[in-house]
Amino acid sequence: MNKTISHSIYMVCACLLFSACIKDTDFDQAEEIALTPIVELDLIYFNLRADQFYDTINSTPVLTVTDTTEIKFLDDSSLQESLKRAEFYFKFTNSIPRTFQVDFQFLSETNDTTYVAGTSVIEGMPAAPVITEFIENVEEDDILRLTQANKVVVSVTIPSSNESLEGTLNLKSKTTYFLEY
Amino acid sequence: MRYLFTFILSLLGFFAISQNKQILYGFDDVPQSLMLNPGSKVTQQKHFGIPFLSQIHFNGGSSGVSVYDIFKDGNDNINDRITQKLFEMKNTDFFTATQQLELLNFGWRAKNEIYFSGGIYQEFDFISYFPKDLAILAWEGNRDYLDYQFDLGEISTTGDFLTVYHFGLNKQITNKLTVGARLKVYSSMFSYRSVNNSGTFTTRLGDESSENIYEHTVENADVSVETSGYASLRDLDGASQVTNEILGRAFFGGNIGVGVDLGFNYDINDAWTLTGSAQDVGAIFHSKDVESYRAHGTYTLDGINLIFPPLSEGDSTFPYYDDLEDEIEREIPIDTLTNSYTQFRPVKINAGISYGFGRFSVSGECDCLNKGGGTLHKQNVGLQFYSIFRPKGPQMAGTLFYHRRITNYLSAKATYTVDSYSFSNVGLGVSAAIGNVNFYLAADNLIRYGNLAKAKSVSLQLGFNIIIDEE
Repeated sequence: MNKTISHSIYMVCACLLFSACIKDTDFDQAEEIALTPIVELDLIYFNLRADQFYDTINSTPVLTVTDTTEIKFLDDSSLQESLKRAEFYFKFTNSIPRTFQVDFQFLSETNDTTYVAGTSVIEGMPAAPVITEFIENVEEDDILRLTQANKVVVSVTIPSSNESLEGTLNLKSKTTYFLEY
Repeated sequence: MRYLFTFILSLLGFFAISQNKQILYGFDDVPQSLMLNPGSKVTQQKHFGIPFLSQIHFNGGSSGVSVYDIFKDGNDNINDRITQKLFEMKNTDFFTATQQLELLNFGWRAKNEIYFSGGIYQEFDFISYFPKDLAILAWEGNRDYLDYQFDLGEISTTGDFLTVYHFGLNKQITNKLTVGARLKVYSSMFSYRSVNNSGTFTTRLGDESSENIYEHTVENADVSVETSGYASLRDLDGASQVTNEILGRAFFGGNIGVGVDLGFNYDINDAWTLTGSAQDVGAIFHSKDVESYRAHGTYTLDGINLIFPPLSEGDSTFPYYDDLEDEIEREIPIDTLTNSYTQFRPVKINAGISYGFGRFSVSGECDCLNKGGGTLHKQNVGLQFYSIFRPKGPQMAGTLFYHRRITNYLSAKATYTVDSYSFSNVGLGVSAAIGNVNFYLAADNLIRYGNLAKAKSVSLQLGFNIIIDEE
């Protein structure tokens, strides 16, 4: 009887050693694994006062003000590969009784323009600010141009200005990055 | 990122393991059972493990997901499966991997009836809890999780690669009681841990008074990683140099620690036996080649605030982006420390109660397997308990076993184990003697052997010894 038991145990062990396997699986599917996070991130913000559009020393209007900031993460090589779509959202709150033209010029490290976007902002009143929203959707070939940039120049142009002009132009902005790794 | 994810997934089920050796525990026919309970009954006079072959142990497990869950052949999309599992799993789920290789193992019974044993083994031990929030953040992003506090404290992982030198004593002190102790000296080749982290990351929609659309806030972050044996590897060139350097530390070249194993075997009466042991009660003192990183603080990111300063021709504006980076580094600094630290070994507790029946005597006159005294039973049934202390608390397992000595050259033990991984873990161990050569093989999760991909844990031990029973 013992022999029978021992033989069967040997058999079971042998079977286990040779039969252990991985079935009904397809590891080629690893190629299809895609992380597709959608990331919301603040971009730039500013508060431009009406007096910034008038040079009190020389008593002359300043019709265009500009500022520049680097956005170094944009031309990062891993972002270049994984960014599928970017959606910029700009929210202007204008209490200056003037319309504005606001332009965003994206520049590469060598100061070549890679992408431009712009919008006009509706005029408001100091007591009754007016909101203008602007969405810029960037995808496909434009993504390649956008991700060549590592800085953005923001230009704000006012049609006319004087010393007594009041109010502020506020901008809040964010970008939604649709990524795929 | 995708490759990292694939790599982590590929670890599932192959290396995810706990350190439970429920089959080997109390399996007195195998000398390596002394490594689990230094106070177990020793039936042989001498044993020599065949160098590098006396114990090969793999154990891998993941408590929340199996390879099959992710990679099964089906019409549905693999990414949908990952998403589903991501939300099903809890932050207390974990991935573990343990591997041990005995370089040397030997033992002999001295004239004073003390059984001395000693040896050297190499061990790799890894555990990572599932950082669910960070996985969701990486997988889905923050858009659909406004106001949700992602918990940075879910990061909890340790890894060790070490050599253990050990020497133990085992003696039957009364008819009923056998006790044993084993002193261990650890030589850590590489170690890291990131535990006791805290903090949250939240994206909130700002209100009218907010600077920008969102407020991205890291709150009360305190995240640290302690490493030893890592800093000096960074400067090395290529895998071969790194391998040589690490192996060079195996012989007391690394950080040293000490620990003990304690155990007993108590025969309550002829039939009932109680056993218990504690392994790796000790610590490693990391003082050489230590480098730790700690990031802590609170910071809210609003984006970049443009000032539009009046500039003359040729003037440049403020370095907004660099200033922002500096501000973040100032508010959440990442300190690099070289302070020594003490790392406690994961203590393992084993306990068992068994009921034996049927006296074992193969040849009638010579009770060859019974040199240690007492009665060897032909069959034993019983219960075992196992616990290992891990960063987030102990992990436990309960085992029901049946042990049978079939002939004087063959015995087997079957187990049914309930643990963090499953309620259906059946294991089998066989010890066979061919002449003086003892071979043993123990594997669990046999029900899953038909398709290992479905197993959440796999454990395997095998080895060869030379056992001498004669005086």
